[in-house]
Amino acid sequence: MIEKEIEIVNKAGMHTRPASAIVRLAAKYKADFFISKNGFEVNGKSIIGVMTLAAEQGSKLTLKFFGEDESELSAEMIKFFEDGFGEPR
Amino acid sequence: MSHRFENIKELKKDFISVDFFFNECKERFKFEKITKHEINSETIISEKDIHRPGLALAGYVDLFTFNRVQVFGNTEILYLKQLSETERQKTLERFFSFKVPCIIITNNNEVPEELILLAEKNEITVFRTPYPTTRLAYFISDFLDDQFSTQIVIHGSFVDVYGVGLMFTGKSGIGKSEIALDLIERGHRLVTDDVVIVTKKGEGVLMGSGTSLNEHFMEIRGLGIIDVSTIFGIRSIRYQKRVEVIVELEDWNKDKAYDRTGLDSTTISLLDVDAELIKLPIFPGKNITVIAEVIALNYLCKHYGYNAAEAFKKKINDKINEKSLRNKKFTWNENYERSTEYFEHDFE
Repeated sequence: MIEKEIEIVNKAGMHTRPASAIVRLAAKYKADFFISKNGFEVNGKSIIGVMTLAAEQGSKLTLKFFGEDESELSAEMIKFFEDGFGEPR
Repeated sequence: MSHRFENIKELKKDFISVDFFFNECKERFKFEKITKHEINSETIISEKDIHRPGLALAGYVDLFTFNRVQVFGNTEILYLKQLSETERQKTLERFFSFKVPCIIITNNNEVPEELILLAEKNEITVFRTPYPTTRLAYFISDFLDDQFSTQIVIHGSFVDVYGVGLMFTGKSGIGKSEIALDLIERGHRLVTDDVVIVTKKGEGVLMGSGTSLNEHFMEIRGLGIIDVSTIFGIRSIRYQKRVEVIVELEDWNKDKAYDRTGLDSTTISLLDVDAELIKLPIFPGKNITVIAEVIALNYLCKHYGYNAAEAFKKKINDKINEKSLRNKKFTWNENYERSTEYFEHDFE
């Protein structure tokens, strides 16, 4: 299992566009992926779940990856988060 | 068992604000705010128990659980009333030297002037209710117990099928939402999709509901997000349901042994409560919706005392016992015995 704490850096937060991109990215891999905010954990492959987090700029999330290709998934996912989903900060 | 249920994190509220407590309780328990000042938004309740401060008022404050909600019943109010003015002032000053979250006066009792003044001075809110103390204590304990109960978040679809709470779990993309949608179309009711908050209520009851954000929204692959309540209307939704059966969907694996008789029921422990678990292998062309309905109906049969698997087992066992006792005069194979012995002019 890989676990990583991460902060939302883009201005608009984890809104619909980034959320759907996260889900699409996660769906490419076999590993399970979970995101939690203040202990509230959702499945990172579920768009409703990810959007329900309503994570704003500055909020801290924990990403968890389990499964065979967890390292590839985590590398790509963490980079996507760190880049602020390619959006302005 | 998959880690979906193993590594689950339990959530618990550490506190609720007095403001929230008042807003939730004012209509339910007929709370009336006696103190004039605004409720201090930083005052919190962090204990699920309540306290009647009789002894603390009488002067014994060594074990005074002041951080609980303080309930003044007839005893407390009458005790304060019979004190002289100076004694009453002294007693209440000692009481208010502790930072209590809030005070509730029951039976619509008249509140001593000194209590209101000191409460306002210390920014402690006083509520009054017409309910008698024991009734109120029961209501509030239940409310606070619910607020401070442990919860878990489960990734699944939760549907009320014929009054049975069926929760579908399984890996992402296996078709949980599609099954839920199919069930809704057949007249069953959606509680929540994708994010289910399961709360332990009392001992032995699991309640499931959605979050305030995801309620009745659903994602269908290829379609996107839909709102079940606007498409299917009020009959298709509900806010909460007891979790009774967990249906774990998995891809059909020919090397795996699936339950064939239903005699050994499997259970899964969620928040230390056992729920029935059914592992359902799926493959294209299998009608899971109808199976889900049968799961619910079968659960109801068992609940009302009829277990199909047990009944069938009994029938077979009775036959075997009967055969071994009977002396073997006849030689035909009894396994070919028809269920109807004689088609007496009934050719339907």
